[in-house]
Amino acid sequence: MTTELDLLDGVLSHTTTDGIPTLYAPTSASEITAGLFFRVGRADETLATAGITHLVEHLALHRLGLSDLHYNGATANTYTLFHVTGSEEEVVRYLNSVCAALRDLPMDRLETEKEILRTEAAGRGGGPNHQMPLWRYGAQNYGLTSYNELGTWSLTAGHVRHWAETRFTRDNAVLWITSGQVPEGLDLTLPHGTRLPAPAATSALPVTPAYIHGDDGHVVLTSVVRRSTAATVFADVLGRALFQDLRQEGGYSYSAEADYTPRDAEYATLTAYADSLPQKQDAVVGGFVDTLARLRAGRIEQSELDSVRAKLLKMYDVPDFGAASLPSYALSLLLGHRILSPEQRRAELDAVTVADLREVARQAWADALLQVPGRGVDWAGLTLAPQYSQEAVTGTRHPSLEDDKVTLVIGAEGVSLLTPRGPVTVRYDAMSAMTVRPDGARALTGHDGFSVTVEPTLYKGVTPERIAALDAAVPPTAAVPMPAREPDRIPQPRKRAAAPAASGRSTWLWTLGLWAVGLLAAVWGLLCAVITADEASAANPEWDAVVGVWIMWLPLAAVTAALYRARRRRRG
Amino acid sequence: MSGTSGRARSSNGPTFDLFDNTPELIPLRTAARSEDWNAVRAFFSGLDSVDKVSSAVAVLAGIDGTEFLLERAVADHPGDPLPRAALAERYVRIGWAIRSSARAQYVSADQFDRFHTWLRKAEQLLIELCAEQPAYAPAWTARLMTARGLQLGQAEARRRYDRLSAHHPHHYRAQVQLLQQVCPKWSGSWEAAHGFARECATASPDGSNSGALVALAHIEHWLELDGPEATAYLRGIPVRDDLRNAAQISVLHPDHRPDWNSVGAHNAFAFAFSIGGHFQDAAPHFAFLGDRASEDPWDYTSDPRTTFLKYRKSALGA
Repeated sequence: MTTELDLLDGVLSHTTTDGIPTLYAPTSASEITAGLFFRVGRADETLATAGITHLVEHLALHRLGLSDLHYNGATANTYTLFHVTGSEEEVVRYLNSVCAALRDLPMDRLETEKEILRTEAAGRGGGPNHQMPLWRYGAQNYGLTSYNELGTWSLTAGHVRHWAETRFTRDNAVLWITSGQVPEGLDLTLPHGTRLPAPAATSALPVTPAYIHGDDGHVVLTSVVRRSTAATVFADVLGRALFQDLRQEGGYSYSAEADYTPRDAEYATLTAYADSLPQKQDAVVGGFVDTLARLRAGRIEQSELDSVRAKLLKMYDVPDFGAASLPSYALSLLLGHRILSPEQRRAELDAVTVADLREVARQAWADALLQVPGRGVDWAGLTLAPQYSQEAVTGTRHPSLEDDKVTLVIGAEGVSLLTPRGPVTVRYDAMSAMTVRPDGARALTGHDGFSVTVEPTLYKGVTPERIAALDAAVPPTAAVPMPAREPDRIPQPRKRAAAPAASGRSTWLWTLGLWAVGLLAAVWGLLCAVITADEASAANPEWDAVVGVWIMWLPLAAVTAALYRARRRRRG
Repeated sequence: MSGTSGRARSSNGPTFDLFDNTPELIPLRTAARSEDWNAVRAFFSGLDSVDKVSSAVAVLAGIDGTEFLLERAVADHPGDPLPRAALAERYVRIGWAIRSSARAQYVSADQFDRFHTWLRKAEQLLIELCAEQPAYAPAWTARLMTARGLQLGQAEARRRYDRLSAHHPHHYRAQVQLLQQVCPKWSGSWEAAHGFARECATASPDGSNSGALVALAHIEHWLELDGPEATAYLRGIPVRDDLRNAAQISVLHPDHRPDWNSVGAHNAFAFAFSIGGHFQDAAPHFAFLGDRASEDPWDYTSDPRTTFLKYRKSALGA
């Protein structure tokens, strides 16, 4: 580690502060900025404990209260950052306060902070790509950002304290300060621990490139590529290509952009996005597919590469480059990503060729997950991400009270929802979480992201005994107790799916119709009978006329019968 | 252009066969049937316009069994756009033959499945080809067919046409394909269909074939109407004037230089004027055509051959 950092001599200095690796470099600004990184984030949690890192962050900042100081905390997938800008004294006070709080979290605030986090989440509405992680990774590690912070319901002081003691340690942290020297008076004493590597990624996509259906107006692509200088250049080239093809050339999109974000030490997530008007979204999808194909084919202008390269090289010419580069070097150190000197980075940038970009484009496509509005994109060679589980479990069968074709199975190995298009299964041995309501409702989510909701009111025979069996089978760490629901929030079965139009109002209309037409048919039938009898007794019966009136009666009789049948169907 | 010879007409009747109408294409058929890729390639090398290349790709793709020759050529010449474009269009033809030209409600789910499978196969070849060679007209033209068959939507079809027309602004075959897309039967509208036809006619240089799109749009519209309403539509003065104007700026314009698409263009005008009873207006088109009839649009009648002869007689009085 030290030898790696020696590469940065002349850019920044390094030392340790209370055992925490510390990077620092001077700035010409009047105030200094500091950041304390911990190698823990949402991807380290489970679905049942989701939000625990965020809770620690909030609790650690609570004692700072309201002040004019410019500070904040951030919880990302693989790290938590506490950062501050101010005078040397203010920075010291902030960092000392954060570490003091981490040593002894204000647990009296726990319930309040849990509620604050739940409120924050309710106001946060997911962005257009918020579903992508769960489809790629399932309901674990990097997929958890798609989910609510379930732990904000159930976590106890013991859980939170343990998390802080084991994750927020001096050995799992990196400090950076934009200053020529480490300020006096810092007390960053934290427990000993170990540097935890970023969690390994799971996959919920058996085949890539894959696609999912999403909301109107948005096309999103994500792909995981190896971290490289070429890939950072590629993200910029992709963003410019999308902007050119979808906005400037076609006018199908307003926004069209791409982003490169390191995921862990080895991999980064490429994200590309374009919006569209509903009537143009077919063209946005088509244009998106074609732009990616063009980059895969290597049809990238050298001038494009050159201008992206020039833009990236400019970042090395900023004043106070050392100070500006501190967060990125600190994060590399934290994640265990290779450290390159600015000269090495520049040399790598200079060496990137169009052929390198084409190679990244091919890798990006091979691993792509595309979210499209409207119709699917199997025509472009993508495979729909799994919509159903591979298999169902066996157990007690509970038909849906709403839909004849749907059955819930509660078994010894898991639960399955059997639907006409396939089963959805959550196995107890591959479970991320189960929410538990006092009224008996249970929502189970598997590692693969599939979920089954057991509502005793909506399925036949889901007795308290069956719920007890379920509770006994689920690993205790997966259970998330939730508060009682208001009685009107407990679902009641809707009318049978087989008779979707059934309602009192429509039945009385049908009855009225039946009576009106039926009466007419009866009267006309009677008239026909009278005419028939009359003619039959006549000297020269006019049989043509008799047949004629009966023929006119037929449609009336037919409509009456049809109305009768339709009404009976609606009544179910 | 020996169409004025009455004797030839009465003895042979109309020829709906593409190769009879355009004998220059016969060497292509011969080369394809003898599975001689070099001869096929040589034929294409001798063509002097993008329109001809595009038409010849369609001809090649229309020959039964050429997929085997084309699959080999794709493997042997991975950098050449021609075999890939022709193979993709061949796949489209195979798929469409399974689907049949019936309206969607008469096509079975299994037929649709197989149809879409062929079209996806074609589309994936074409995505790569268009990415590599964005100016290659036959590939974009075939992508208008896959877009329609796979129901990728009006905006996507139009995008494909726009990408093509950025390089080849008045590509007749592509215009004919997009016209189908913008008709109501493929989720378009009459407003869009006539609008696109007018756009093609007015934007193209005088004497090009594109004016025939106006006639093709009116024929499609006529086909959708029933009985007397249909006849009244093409008899109407506004439609007649529209057709006259389109004919005059296109195939009847002094600058018009007949090419492989002119037979289809003249047939469209001859058909539309004749159904509307405007035989005098149909006359110059029949005079150009002689015996050279095209399946489209005459296949829209129950007896194309007799109908062609009857109308030509009414028009030319022979």
